[in-house]
Amino acid sequence: MTGDLILDRVQSIVLSIAGPDQIDSDAGPDTPLGDDGFWLDSVSVLEVILACEQEFGKIFDEESGPTADVLRTPRTLADAIRRKMR
Amino acid sequence: MTRTEKSRLPSAGGTTLSRTRRLVFRSLLSLLDVLPWPWGEELLAGLFVARAFVGVRRLRAALEWASRQPGSRGRWRLAVALCWHHGRFVGRAALLGLRHPEQFRRHLVLRGEQHLRAVVGATILLGFHLGPPNTAVALQVLGHRVRAMGAKRISRGWAREAWQPFQGPEALLWVPGDWHRGAAMYQALHVLQGGGTVSLAADGIGRPAFALPLSGGTVRISSGWLELRRRTGAQVLPVLKHLDGRTLVLTVHPPLPPCASPLEREVEVCREILQRLLDDYVRQFPEQCYSLAFPG
Repeated sequence: MTGDLILDRVQSIVLSIAGPDQIDSDAGPDTPLGDDGFWLDSVSVLEVILACEQEFGKIFDEESGPTADVLRTPRTLADAIRRKMR
Repeated sequence: MTRTEKSRLPSAGGTTLSRTRRLVFRSLLSLLDVLPWPWGEELLAGLFVARAFVGVRRLRAALEWASRQPGSRGRWRLAVALCWHHGRFVGRAALLGLRHPEQFRRHLVLRGEQHLRAVVGATILLGFHLGPPNTAVALQVLGHRVRAMGAKRISRGWAREAWQPFQGPEALLWVPGDWHRGAAMYQALHVLQGGGTVSLAADGIGRPAFALPLSGGTVRISSGWLELRRRTGAQVLPVLKHLDGRTLVLTVHPPLPPCASPLEREVEVCREILQRLLDDYVRQFPEQCYSLAFPG
């Protein structure tokens, strides 16, 4: 737990979608969502985004969507959600 | 595949040698692009044949592929045709010598257009890495509104002014900055939810759904399109393409049966249909199946 409510929630969504066999014990908010991290494939990334939208409301513009930078780690995703909620 | 297995895979990033090769190859494409179509494409096809004879590994793979194909066609002839077509497809992907979309359109035939016209609302055009590239571009050139799942293409040909509309957000699932497949999936979902049409490869990278064993190789079908279909109810039309001489022939097949439950049954029905389609394709056009002969 980081003490940051949004980040904690994003991380728990990522953890639940990645599944236990995909997660290193030292995985944290700065672990990459993709290769060498949570190993999420594109379908899992989509699931993470949709789960976050269900939790926090619409986050991304339908036209432009999320960028690769936003989808780098749980922290970058949480930061994007925070910016949208402001 | 487990995480440990994944981490053992060779890195896609290149060594200095492969970076140099890429640079040389890009320069070669730029040089060939100066020639009028289809000279550059045909020269490149010839170079791919020559390369197979220099680096024997590729020739061996082509011969092995050819030997696994039924029929009376000579093994060597088929192996050479395979390398030749591979070169031609690489040239076509870079739009070698194709100055204008109209030039592309003149050598384009669309079969099964009635299936495209019959579908209403969200549609997934399901392509494969068999045969020539540019499925979505071909349909766009013919005036169909299709968004392609894929990164912006980089080549001298694609940089031409006339091709810019085919590189923009109306033609591609647009991911600002670096390409990201998950971000493109999100885009695809919204295009489909809005009743649009998305073109994507069934055998791209991603979570595997099932495998189709074919004569000489296996096509691994990924699950992204199944996920999008389940979430949006989109109709899925398989699209195959081949070269007939210099003409790109695009064949749109009837839609796959709608989503059903249980999921296993739905996947099985799709698998059976795709197996039949790809078996037929490999039987008819074995020389155009470079991705099966040269996997990876």
